[in-house]
Amino acid sequence: MIELPVLDDSPELADQPRNRFWRSISHLEGSHEFKQMNAGEFLPGASDGPATEGNGGATRRQFIQLMGASMAMAGLTACRKPVETIVPYVRQPEDRVEGVPVQYATSMPFRGVLRPLLVESFDGRPTKVEGNPEHPDSHGATHLFEQASILSLYDPDRVGTVRNGDTVSDWGTFRTFASDLPTSSRVVVIAEPTSSMTMAVVRRQMEQRFNTVRWVDYHGVVGNNAAQGVRAAYGRSARVNHDLAAAKIILSLDADLFASTGPDPVAASAGFAAGRDPEAMDGMNRLYVVESGYSITGGMADHRLRLKSSEIASFAAALAAELGAWSGDAGVHGAHAWISALADDLRRAGSHALVVAGDHQPAGVHALAAAMNDRLGAVGTTVFYLDNEESAADAAAELEAAVADMAAGNVDVVLTLGTNPAYDHPGFSEAYAQVGHRIHLGMYLDETATQASWIIPQTHYLEAWGDGTSRSGIPSVIQPLIAPLYADAHSDIEMVGLFATGTDMPGYEMVRATWRGQLGGSFESAWRKVVHDGFGSGDGFGRARMSLSAAGVRAAMDGVDLSGGTDVEIVITPDAKVFDGRFANNAWLQELPDPTTKVVWDNVASMNPATAEKLGVGAKLNAGKYYADVVRLEAGGHAAELPVWIQPGMADGSIHVTLGYGRDITSERPERNTPFFDLDDYTDVYGKGAISTGVGVNTASLAVSGCIAPVGVSKASTGYLVASTQDHGAIDAPHVGEEVKSRGLFRMATVEEYRANPDFVKGGEPAPLKEDWEDYPTLWEANHPKDSVEITSSNYHANQWGMVIDLNTCTGCNACVVACQAENNIQVVGKQEVARGREMHWLRLDRYFVSGDGSSYDDPQMVIQPMPCQHCENAPCEQVCPVAATVHSPDGTNQMIYNRCIGTRYCANNCPYKVRRFNFFNWTKTLPDTLHMASNPNVTVRSRGVMEKCSFCIQRIRGANKVANVENRELQDGEVVTACQQVCPANAITFGDLSNPDSAVSRRRQSDRRYELLAELNVKPRVSYLGRVRNPNPNLA
Amino acid sequence: MSTASTDKTLAHLADFHDEAPLVKGNLSFHDITEIVSSHTEKKTPFAWYGAFSLALAGLMLLVGMIAYLFWNGTGVWGLNNPVGWGYAIVNFVFWVGIGHAGTLISAILFLFRQQWRTAINRSAEAMTIFAVICALVFPTIHVGRVWAIYWTLPLPNQMNMWPQFKSPLLWDVFAVSTYFTVSLVFWYIGLVPDLASMRDRAKGKLRKLVLGVASMGWTGANRHWRNYEKAYLLLAALATPLVLSVHSVVSFDFAVSIVPGWHTTIFPPYFVAGAIFSGFAMVVTLLVIARKIYGVENIITVDHLEKMNIIILLTGTMVGFAYITEFFIAWYSGVQYEQYAFVNRMFGPYAWAYWTMMSCNLFFPQFFWFKKLRRNITFMFIISIFVNIGMWFERFVITVTSLHRDYLPSSWDYYTPTVVDVLTFVGTFGLFFTLFLLFLRFMPMVAVAEVKGVMPEADPHFYDHEGDGHGAEHTVQPSTQQ
Repeated sequence: MIELPVLDDSPELADQPRNRFWRSISHLEGSHEFKQMNAGEFLPGASDGPATEGNGGATRRQFIQLMGASMAMAGLTACRKPVETIVPYVRQPEDRVEGVPVQYATSMPFRGVLRPLLVESFDGRPTKVEGNPEHPDSHGATHLFEQASILSLYDPDRVGTVRNGDTVSDWGTFRTFASDLPTSSRVVVIAEPTSSMTMAVVRRQMEQRFNTVRWVDYHGVVGNNAAQGVRAAYGRSARVNHDLAAAKIILSLDADLFASTGPDPVAASAGFAAGRDPEAMDGMNRLYVVESGYSITGGMADHRLRLKSSEIASFAAALAAELGAWSGDAGVHGAHAWISALADDLRRAGSHALVVAGDHQPAGVHALAAAMNDRLGAVGTTVFYLDNEESAADAAAELEAAVADMAAGNVDVVLTLGTNPAYDHPGFSEAYAQVGHRIHLGMYLDETATQASWIIPQTHYLEAWGDGTSRSGIPSVIQPLIAPLYADAHSDIEMVGLFATGTDMPGYEMVRATWRGQLGGSFESAWRKVVHDGFGSGDGFGRARMSLSAAGVRAAMDGVDLSGGTDVEIVITPDAKVFDGRFANNAWLQELPDPTTKVVWDNVASMNPATAEKLGVGAKLNAGKYYADVVRLEAGGHAAELPVWIQPGMADGSIHVTLGYGRDITSERPERNTPFFDLDDYTDVYGKGAISTGVGVNTASLAVSGCIAPVGVSKASTGYLVASTQDHGAIDAPHVGEEVKSRGLFRMATVEEYRANPDFVKGGEPAPLKEDWEDYPTLWEANHPKDSVEITSSNYHANQWGMVIDLNTCTGCNACVVACQAENNIQVVGKQEVARGREMHWLRLDRYFVSGDGSSYDDPQMVIQPMPCQHCENAPCEQVCPVAATVHSPDGTNQMIYNRCIGTRYCANNCPYKVRRFNFFNWTKTLPDTLHMASNPNVTVRSRGVMEKCSFCIQRIRGANKVANVENRELQDGEVVTACQQVCPANAITFGDLSNPDSAVSRRRQSDRRYELLAELNVKPRVSYLGRVRNPNPNLA
Repeated sequence: MSTASTDKTLAHLADFHDEAPLVKGNLSFHDITEIVSSHTEKKTPFAWYGAFSLALAGLMLLVGMIAYLFWNGTGVWGLNNPVGWGYAIVNFVFWVGIGHAGTLISAILFLFRQQWRTAINRSAEAMTIFAVICALVFPTIHVGRVWAIYWTLPLPNQMNMWPQFKSPLLWDVFAVSTYFTVSLVFWYIGLVPDLASMRDRAKGKLRKLVLGVASMGWTGANRHWRNYEKAYLLLAALATPLVLSVHSVVSFDFAVSIVPGWHTTIFPPYFVAGAIFSGFAMVVTLLVIARKIYGVENIITVDHLEKMNIIILLTGTMVGFAYITEFFIAWYSGVQYEQYAFVNRMFGPYAWAYWTMMSCNLFFPQFFWFKKLRRNITFMFIISIFVNIGMWFERFVITVTSLHRDYLPSSWDYYTPTVVDVLTFVGTFGLFFTLFLLFLRFMPMVAVAEVKGVMPEADPHFYDHEGDGHGAEHTVQPSTQQ
């Protein structure tokens, strides 16, 4: 507030020149009364407030100031723009319309590479992530971590201030501390592997400043076996990329190609889908999966072999021997029945064959896979080795050495850059305590942070500048979309920059400095183009010249046990939802059903029924809820107690657990406590501290002797509630499978059957009735609302929206579920409510197991069926709503009118697809403030007591309508893309205008594999499915 | 005085009295007035206070549960995604069913000249009204946004929005509210002569005033009786189709949907039969107790109860027949969803509810084939309780077992009620008994005027022993006796 000087005609008379004019004697004398009288602008009393002298009452000026300030602030309180300085536009920038979202290109760093993105921003607030379709590595799609990362930005439990021990400090203090560190300090940096060029620069600078810097690439439990395997086989390190689109025969050795945890699941899914068209002239690809668990990749397999992970090395060796890529002993599976047929098939495919080993398989198996690919001639067709400097050192050994150093007291400073070794590296905490300066850069007050001496808040990738390369090596920029929500937050490069120079290094300048050296010509325009596009020019890394070394393969296989391993093994893998724990505090991901078990808010020890029976453990279904036995798993001298989950189709004797749970994040928000009559404390998912704290069990310690290990199992307790969104697996209700089949829900055939009978999906119709269902009298057909004038005369009537979902390419990877959640402001309800069957996901992935005739539950197939609202033309929900809260739009979608809904739930009862979701409680009432910022402003946030469901992303349809209307043209095909369609890595979802015969969706509906679910009910769903066609090897019955 | 039924010498009375007398114990008109009215006039017994406190506590429980529900949301109940309707709708249909007996007794049996109805119709009608009040609680509170419930009414509004007239829930709104209104008016019209009797006996000033207003100036004049009888007949004729329609419409909630197990054309008659079944069972339950405590055993005799038991047997068998027909049709239709739904009812996770229903509704009432058993007060009380339980389970089976496993096995789930669900249901009994106890305390629990009308003395020729058209022994006309 600017204090203007009061006009005052009584300056000190003493300072005036001698010739004075005076009005009265008191003026001349400068008496107190006179000064008082002249103190104000007006005579006393004329402008004074009601206050008497000296008691501090407001003057007229103060009053006006306060009023003005409150008026200004009243306007500000409603929504704070998360920027540090607000400068109003004097002129509106040409490309900027308030309320119209803008997309910016950026990238998300994950597993050492950048995933190229376009992020939608509403008036400076990022809300939705999409793939960057311009980027060669993106395909325009993303996987689920990218989708969910937006919620992590707004995580209410992010640490906001610099801390020194337990006291709140600030960045300035820390800067002083960092620049004062003696150069003789022995520094250990534990950082995630990164492809950042800027990081490489500042890292070198930092290594110059300090005498000893030990830099550890921290892979956590996930490890880098694949890189080590390649290095072993070829004697040099290279990044391995797979091109599934070029592959005809694919063999996965325990590799979950399509899961979020994979190195490049988007490309894998897209490539696989490209070869999956049964109508294609050159036939379909064929996928063999040998695995111990049941992954979604296994679900897509044409042939799936259940084998313990510890035995897969032997299987791989036998196959490699058959292919001539291995000369050693093949061990226990040397004569497996599959080998010759599989080898024949691979050989026939030749260069179009592909063998991939899973991340948790030992380096030897990766080396074997490389040898097989090499032998088959696949290198250069389906397998590419890229020339990059990626470290293939034994990450675990390096960390172990650093930890040993720390424990010995040989380290002065430990810098953990966004890593959390105290959580997933047993023994780290003890060594950590020996270090004087424990500096942690992280987003949370997590396991490592609480033991650190300095905690520096880390920026989210959407908050800070950065760079790196994508999977294929194309350099990209990480462009922030928002200033850091917490002023103290700094990025990893800024942190290292500080340590390197002792001064503040703004990330923007650092990244620009790096790129200045790389971009030729006019830097500014080139830089602008890079930032705009999200990536620089070039084809990425070149091909590495590789020559296979049989001796290297043999060396890598040296320590690998081919004897068949142990009776019961444990396989520890990163979680498909929270990865290694880094996404554990993300409520969307916690509530995301596991792609295969459908378990939420927990990690479980999954095993097949036979194993469970042998171990004498199990889970009981009681009143619709699973109560599982808890087993104590002991491996590598550590133990963890996890609930049992019975998963059909796993290998006998294999127990799978996932990482990333059992987090201990400290929240600074107060716990929500409400009186007994108020359930807000129950409905507030965020009300009991950080959401990840206390969810599941930390299994990282079990992996100390490898991700595949022998395990001791004993029953610890019983009756643990496991929440799953799909209650009835094949085990508990044997007749369910028959019901699924006879109801014709999921229709599939082999490629031969399909060729012989292209109309096989018609055969999947439920048993024919006495009359054909098409001949049913259609009630109200004559006077159907869809033919009313109000509908047909609407401008929207020209488009009739429909969707086709290809069950042949949908892997069930879950990306669409998270994308839908992000797009449509779908709320999270917590474990208890999911257990009660009240999850809110609009898009559900139904999982069914299929066993052939006579086969047992041991080896079923698994199929996934996405289930959005079917937007029935004869919608049964609309007919029963007493208040017309769900109605049909002129463009053929079934719409929910939230503010008309009174919540009778009749529509949900009458929905044969059960896609309607009811707000049993007010889920948004208790939402922390920051999370409201993650909401899509184009979608109504639903309150308690109303029904909701998939809307076909009506906000996107109307957005496109608006644009077309303004431009005075028809909507073009492909202009409206639903969130699920946009994210789908496999392109399984096609959406568009059915009234346009040339639209993609109309053409896809021509497919003879097309069928509608429960069509015999005459509800006329607008969503069609394309039946699955499998491509089994005739020689492998 | 004596009833003339045994007087075989009076030939012209033979057809009038070929049935057992409806009122026993040699009661005169005055005795009947005295017995019925005295309960409302004497000092309130302690037992009534005891019972009333208990009922009131139940009502408070209901209020508490509803307040808890409104404060927190529908989530306090056990509903989940496939099962969108649970206890609330089950209880609604249950109470509406109970509410069937009264109007049936007073209207349909009136039209069919079933004179035994007179002893029980007043209390049965009261029960009907209170049961419908209990029923109406549920559709009101079961919606997610109770503050917008009035949108189901066709009120003119600035949004130009009408309710959606194709929805059976809307039909429910009309059917049940009409039924309630007509039942209430019908009950009140029937009460007027008796209220006038009580007015004439009233001692206190306030009592005189209230009863004076309530009896609407009834004097027992010939003209009053003529109008009364006409109004009663017309209302009976109006109420009769409503008895059939209300539960038919309630059944449409289910039958109009496409849920397997609901989508059944047999529902309307089956629901009406079930409603009469449960309504009579509830009347028996209540009257067995009330007639004992209030000493009206001579007016509500075991003959009356037996007749009700026969109706229970009849309707119970009809309901059982409907259950079996449903199964037959499910098989015969060839629709696998229907077939699965019914197999699931019998052998699925809710088989216990199904077999409870079957045994209570189909099996136990068959004991009433035995005259000895259907005239045994204790036995019929037990059976009536079973029928009440069975009919509640019938609605539970229909509502929940159909919903919990419908078309897509991926969405199948299990419904478990919460404590709030159960206590809300218990609370409606509190509401019901609060109202019923108030009725017993302040209203004539038997339709005095109507009972008198079916006594032999009401026959104009009753006293005409000589057959000359003139009574000899008595001169007082029954209809003006008070």
